[in-house]
Amino acid sequence: MINYIELLLNKISAKNQKHATKLRENLKHLSDDYFHLGNSFYEKYEKYLHSQKLTLDFGVECYLRMSEDMVEERIKFIQNGKYSNTSFAEVDKTVYSNPGVMTYHMHGLVLGQFLWFEQWERIKFFVDNLQHYFRNGRKYLEIGGGHGLYINEAMKLLPDTTQFDLVDISESSLTLARGILNTNRVNFHLKNIFDFTNDDEYDFVTIGEVLEHVEEPLRLLKQIRNHLSANGFCYLTTPINAPMIDHIYLFNDEQEIRNLLTEAGFEIVKEKIVISEKISSAKAVRYKVPVMYAAFIETIK
Amino acid sequence: MDTNEVLKQVNDIFIDTLDNDEIKLNRDTTANDVENWDSLTHIQLVVAIERHFHIRFTSKEIQSWANVGEMVESISKKISP
Repeated sequence: MINYIELLLNKISAKNQKHATKLRENLKHLSDDYFHLGNSFYEKYEKYLHSQKLTLDFGVECYLRMSEDMVEERIKFIQNGKYSNTSFAEVDKTVYSNPGVMTYHMHGLVLGQFLWFEQWERIKFFVDNLQHYFRNGRKYLEIGGGHGLYINEAMKLLPDTTQFDLVDISESSLTLARGILNTNRVNFHLKNIFDFTNDDEYDFVTIGEVLEHVEEPLRLLKQIRNHLSANGFCYLTTPINAPMIDHIYLFNDEQEIRNLLTEAGFEIVKEKIVISEKISSAKAVRYKVPVMYAAFIETIK
Repeated sequence: MDTNEVLKQVNDIFIDTLDNDEIKLNRDTTANDVENWDSLTHIQLVVAIERHFHIRFTSKEIQSWANVGEMVESISKKISP
């Protein structure tokens, strides 16, 4: 298999050497698992790009454009102590329903999945624990499936008989996920999760990096409970101090997330917290560096 | 305030923000010359400078400086009456 990770780092280096050097430094000690999973996902991604008459260079351009947005958002965040957007309607108009922005943003995120070591930690935590918490389940739901990486891994790990549903609010996002996954095993739903109503109870719900996109994360968590079976588990991730063009709800620390989960009636079964830079937690707090929070949760009995 | 005084005050901000008493900036200093001056701390440094001098930079300005001299020039223009 082509070493896509190295290929992408070289392409990024040609445009922004300093950024590529930092990525490389952060990734150099990762295991074979990382390269295997990363390269196999990027291979699917490249196939999709080719089907659209595009190349990896397009992905790299999108990634660098998204990185520029991130720097701008971070500057505003440090200046003002809050995310630049607080309204869902505003972000829906400027990002989710704006294919021009959403396209480069989503393609940028695809590359970020395996170029940012904290994202690898997030997917590894999921892959290492999914089967244990899915147990003998039958139905899997993913909310805000983005580019489809998580459901792609779930399909590899869970039985063939599993029902897979994916709900996403953005057409650009669903188009990308459909294209990369290229499967008929997933039912895709173009819906706001608050308008997603069906009678199914899911044995497992994945909701990665969504809470920070809504004005009322508590309401969203309660909505997840409505879709989760009595003994079901949910895998949830959300970042702390992570300004992006489409983030509106700011979590200042992990305790705020834990408190919200408890308030919504969830118990944390297992959690993982990763700082997005190779620095101490004291320095991360001081510089308000993004931190990745991930947890397996269940309804409080 | 002349640009030498701006440079001196910027030097103090670097020492304080990066926790490094050894820092001695000159106009040709770049991020490569100062330990821990990277994309992460750059934003912290800029915001500390903004607070100290009571000025605001645009995102474009913040990412445009090639060295400390250009940063000092940019500050001096904003604080000059």
